[in-house]
Amino acid sequence: MSDQKNDIGKTVLKLENIKKTFGGIQALKGVEFSLREGEVHALLGENGAGKSTLIKILTGVHKMDTGRILINDKAVEVDNPISARFKGIAAIYQELSLVESLNVAQNIYLGHEPVRNFFGAVDFKNILKKSLDYLQTFGIEINPNTLVQDLGMGEKRIVEIVKALSIDARILVLDEPTTGMSAAEIDTLFRIMDDMKKKSVNMIYITHHLEEVFRICDRASVFRDGENAGTFNISEVDSSTLVKAMLGKELKDEFTTRMGMAEPVEMLRVEGFRSERMSQPISFSLKRGEILGITGIIGAGKSELGLGLFGVDKKVEGQLYIKDVPVDIKTPIEAQNNAIAFIPEDRKELGLFLDLSVEHNITITNIDAVISKTLISKRKRAGMAQDTAERLKVKPNDIKMAAQNLSGGNQQKVVLGKWLSGNPEIIILDEPTRGIDVGAKSEIYKIIQNLADEGVSVIVLSAEFKEVNGICDRILVLRKGRIIEELTRENSSTEKILSAALGG
Amino acid sequence: MEKPLKKDSIYKNDHITKVRKLLKGELGLLLILAVLIVTFMILSPYFFTSRNLLNITRQISITLIVAIGMTFVILTGEIDLSVGSLAALAGVAAAAAINATGSILIGIIAGLVMGFAMGAINGLLIVYGKVQSFIVTLAMLGIARGIALVWTGGKPISGLPISFGTMGAGYVGMVPVSTIIAAGVFLIAYYFMNRTKHGIYMRSIGANTEAAKLSAIPVKKYRIIAFLISGLLSGLGGILITSRLLSAQPTAAEGMELNVIAAVILGGASLSGGIGTILGTLLGAMVIGVIDNGMNLVGVSAFFQQIVKGIIILIAVMAKRGE
Repeated sequence: MSDQKNDIGKTVLKLENIKKTFGGIQALKGVEFSLREGEVHALLGENGAGKSTLIKILTGVHKMDTGRILINDKAVEVDNPISARFKGIAAIYQELSLVESLNVAQNIYLGHEPVRNFFGAVDFKNILKKSLDYLQTFGIEINPNTLVQDLGMGEKRIVEIVKALSIDARILVLDEPTTGMSAAEIDTLFRIMDDMKKKSVNMIYITHHLEEVFRICDRASVFRDGENAGTFNISEVDSSTLVKAMLGKELKDEFTTRMGMAEPVEMLRVEGFRSERMSQPISFSLKRGEILGITGIIGAGKSELGLGLFGVDKKVEGQLYIKDVPVDIKTPIEAQNNAIAFIPEDRKELGLFLDLSVEHNITITNIDAVISKTLISKRKRAGMAQDTAERLKVKPNDIKMAAQNLSGGNQQKVVLGKWLSGNPEIIILDEPTRGIDVGAKSEIYKIIQNLADEGVSVIVLSAEFKEVNGICDRILVLRKGRIIEELTRENSSTEKILSAALGG
Repeated sequence: MEKPLKKDSIYKNDHITKVRKLLKGELGLLLILAVLIVTFMILSPYFFTSRNLLNITRQISITLIVAIGMTFVILTGEIDLSVGSLAALAGVAAAAAINATGSILIGIIAGLVMGFAMGAINGLLIVYGKVQSFIVTLAMLGIARGIALVWTGGKPISGLPISFGTMGAGYVGMVPVSTIIAAGVFLIAYYFMNRTKHGIYMRSIGANTEAAKLSAIPVKKYRIIAFLISGLLSGLGGILITSRLLSAQPTAAEGMELNVIAAVILGGASLSGGIGTILGTLLGAMVIGVIDNGMNLVGVSAFFQQIVKGIIILIAVMAKRGE
């Protein structure tokens, strides 16, 4: 990989030996990265590889432990997002930061409005005119007077980009900007990016879509386990090289081999099922005691499927059969009555009562079992919580402790415990190991395998391909809401899953 | 990956947290109560007599009953501003029913049904109309008061049988009947909140509504139940006021919601839901009762009392926030 091959300009941004630790977990292990004048530089890597952490350090959201940031060969301090902005660094995140009830022009100038007088009266005519200029420069047909809430997803993202440009950003980070965009909007975005390149705006482009990398990027850095595993000139590589770099060498030891196996009895059958937030109908079946992995990149529709099956989202079409009996699940309560459990992706927001005790969390879904006569038996309730906590090895072993004082891995065990005390027959786990350390991960895998061995059918929704490959009996790969590949334990590999998911 | 040392330190910390928690919660409030009692003991020789202490329990009984209903509402993360107006309307309904039928029992039932029904309207509008509880109950505060005024033409309903006065003004031995009623409500509510699934579900909803939904808790049902309880207990409070005065005032219990919410918040409940206890609310109501009673005995002017009360509530809540 020759560095001087192209006559693309000098290095505008250099990151040296960036290290960052979160609560004992090393997220970045000394990252080196450089951005050249006039390039679009892709950041690739699996979830948790360290891309987002690096970007958050660059934009002043997180503080690095050690390392240096150099802009135009000068070391700079980026303490917070405001100081990042002053240094010409702007980022567009997946979650939009626009104010829906203001118009496009007001949003573009939000926080740096030209004011007319001492009282802060905003010069609306001026910002309308300037916004229009900006939009026209990039050939965007959006009326700056439109309220942001009336725009489509793609248009909103474009407004967000223009907003970043209005503060003269020289370094622009785009985090999965094509999420939710139509093909036409993606074309517009790429045209704008081409324009920006000519105006020497340098871009870092985070994506999971390899075809986008080949369309718009000049170089790509592949992140793996908190390190930059290699920087490539896009004109010199093909997608399989990038995929290999993302995976590194496979570690099989994290996963213990499963003792039992799925029974040849169908537990759940999903026929042409689609809920309100799913883009495509889906069909599959699940055997008794089977661990079924459903995977795909973020946005492929995994969580939506889980929320649909559990009755959180409304069903639009299709039919579910449990043990060959058609069932209609409209609410989580009906799902629970059909012995289905759901462990949501967002542990803190959706899974736990953080302020309340481990006992409260574990017993909440099965409180009827600890009522003797009319009142809850304190002894039985504590016993149920204690048994479940010990079975799952929740540490510390104190059921009166508030859930928020536990580590991520132990919190996840509590969420699992909440459902296990009710003896479910089908468990749907959405990203079961997100944000928890390696030790706790393998404990969770063990729990999942033990459950399956006991005859519980498990659906694992996960974007971690190694995990899906390591623990599942069968794997369905989703892409844009559709099942595009089915693999079994015998013929699956992380590489096959990744290629199918990325469509590269 | 768990080191034994870490485990130990977590345990130690936990004991400290437990003590801190107690101080922040009931124990801290008990301390404040003790300070107030000692202060008034010094300032007035009559204050710490059994007669006056029982008198305080009678004075706080109505606030406590309504505050217990409010505790359930606040526990689910909502607010009920209409309690004072519901109490007045329930009192009017009870008095009208007694005068129409001659039966005290029917009167009491009418008052309770009125409170329950208005609570149901609050709950249904909030849950199914999807309007914030602050707004619905603010509107109900006006509507219920207005109905009471229109119904009575603005004049009190009097001529109630003397025996009806037992509830609010009578005594069993030295103990006021309304104190006994409040104690009963307290016990039932205590067990309902801590020892039935209903209380546990309501706490869960307040702590994290989304997680409650995903835990297969019937969230809508329990949000409504909280307002039913609040309405019912406001009704009971209104009946007691009517009984004590032997007449139903359409303007009764004006501004009651402020005292009631103050008692619940003093008791350690969080306005964002999930946190709060019945015992805390009892102590909160007692603090307010002692302040009112003590200042009257000491002879602080009624105008000045309001300022002192406001300041004490602020200090108490802030003291609990800190360590």
